[in-house]
Amino acid sequence: MKIFIKLLFIYLCFVPFLLSDEYVVISNRNLQTISKSQIKAIFLKKITIINDTKVIPISLGTKDPIRTKFEKKILKMSFIRLKNYWTKQHYLGHRPPISMQSQESIKKFVQKVQGAIGYINAKKLDKSVKEIYRWRD
Amino acid sequence: MSFYLQGVFLFKILSLLLLSILSLRGDENYQLGEGIQIETLPIYLGGYISLEYDKSEMKDRYSFDDIAILSYGNYEKYSYLIELEYKELYVKSKYHNTKATVTKNYQLYTERVYIDYNYNENYMLRIGKYNSNIGFWNIMPINILRETSSTPLSNSILFPTFTTGLSLSYLYYLSSAEIKIDTMIQNNSDLDAEYNNYQIDKHYGIGLSYSKDDFTFKINSGLFHKKNSKVDNNLLYYYLLSNKYETESFQLLSEFGQQYSSNKLTTEYAGYIQGSYHFTEHHSTILRVESYNTYKTIQSTQENFMIVAYTYRPIYPIALKSEYQIHSNDDLNKLLLSFSVLF
Repeated sequence: MKIFIKLLFIYLCFVPFLLSDEYVVISNRNLQTISKSQIKAIFLKKITIINDTKVIPISLGTKDPIRTKFEKKILKMSFIRLKNYWTKQHYLGHRPPISMQSQESIKKFVQKVQGAIGYINAKKLDKSVKEIYRWRD
Repeated sequence: MSFYLQGVFLFKILSLLLLSILSLRGDENYQLGEGIQIETLPIYLGGYISLEYDKSEMKDRYSFDDIAILSYGNYEKYSYLIELEYKELYVKSKYHNTKATVTKNYQLYTERVYIDYNYNENYMLRIGKYNSNIGFWNIMPINILRETSSTPLSNSILFPTFTTGLSLSYLYYLSSAEIKIDTMIQNNSDLDAEYNNYQIDKHYGIGLSYSKDDFTFKINSGLFHKKNSKVDNNLLYYYLLSNKYETESFQLLSEFGQQYSSNKLTTEYAGYIQGSYHFTEHHSTILRVESYNTYKTIQSTQENFMIVAYTYRPIYPIALKSEYQIHSNDDLNKLLLSFSVLF
């Protein structure tokens, strides 16, 4: 009985982990490996060139839940704070990343355009793009 | 009659601006505070306006403080920014027991104009006129983007707010932190000199900043030479230490520095500490304490004061601000109200 309770406890501890989704930041296969802080800097347009290649960050639409997760986990900013950030950047001459409405469009764009970088659900990942960072809910 | 004509002139300008903003709001691709793109070219247009009312024991002052147009864009490794501004376009002041006076300034100033070259992910070269990259406040100085209507006095006391020349930046990323080094070089006259707080012909500055999570620390140091200074070698040296801690709802900002010449201390200290609390997306309260002691005249000028402010932003690019300044010299106490828009 004790063993059963222990197993049940362990199972319950891992259920949220097993049920949570995984997401990946993807780039064109030609882009070098980059760190999490560099990913953040690219999406905040602090870095615009890597190894002589212009980097092009692509976001999902403003209401997409994956975008919210990305902004919370990688950029560590809420939607409002990020919007205020881009208003300030307008004064400094910087634009927010362009956005696309579906993960498929992002994957196709990243696959075709050198320097492109985006994020999708890990289930949609294949070898046409390069995984550069993975995170879980 | 003249007041009538002035009123008509102001009304026309305000109407034009409001109509432009409202017509842009109608475009579903346009978002206030983010400018517009010219066709499909990599060129963007935007701008800002601000109106202020200042009331103290000594005077009442209404001003159409800023009307500015911005244009920027980028192509490959290059980008540019131009900012042209009417400063204090219309000011009506009334001193105690005197008749109101009106001043108008139709001169269009070049606030910033520069070209950036991004060599790679680490190095960036800038040439032109830019906000001196010193501290936090000076790089985001316009009414709409700052927390209060007024600007800390330390900004105008310690260093030149604009530099016309070169700037080289180095940015480096550690696993979870960011290090940035900025250098500024000016060895020529200012562009639109009268617009700068110091009219200079030489400025060399260096800054180092370290950011990790919500915290940023910055140290700046430099020297500059005032144009037309009677003493050729009369260089002024400055340094500024700045800290910023920012979360979703709270920001703590402080900047303190000193200025001296080769033979004496010109500003013993100047700085401020400011806390801002955003209790909702639209409402914030701000408390700032400032202090300075300068020896720029024969007698020293020392002052401590506190600013209590409230800001309402229906949306972030529109701000209605109020603040009350409580000075150690009661005569300087004042109320400031402002309205500003970034478009």
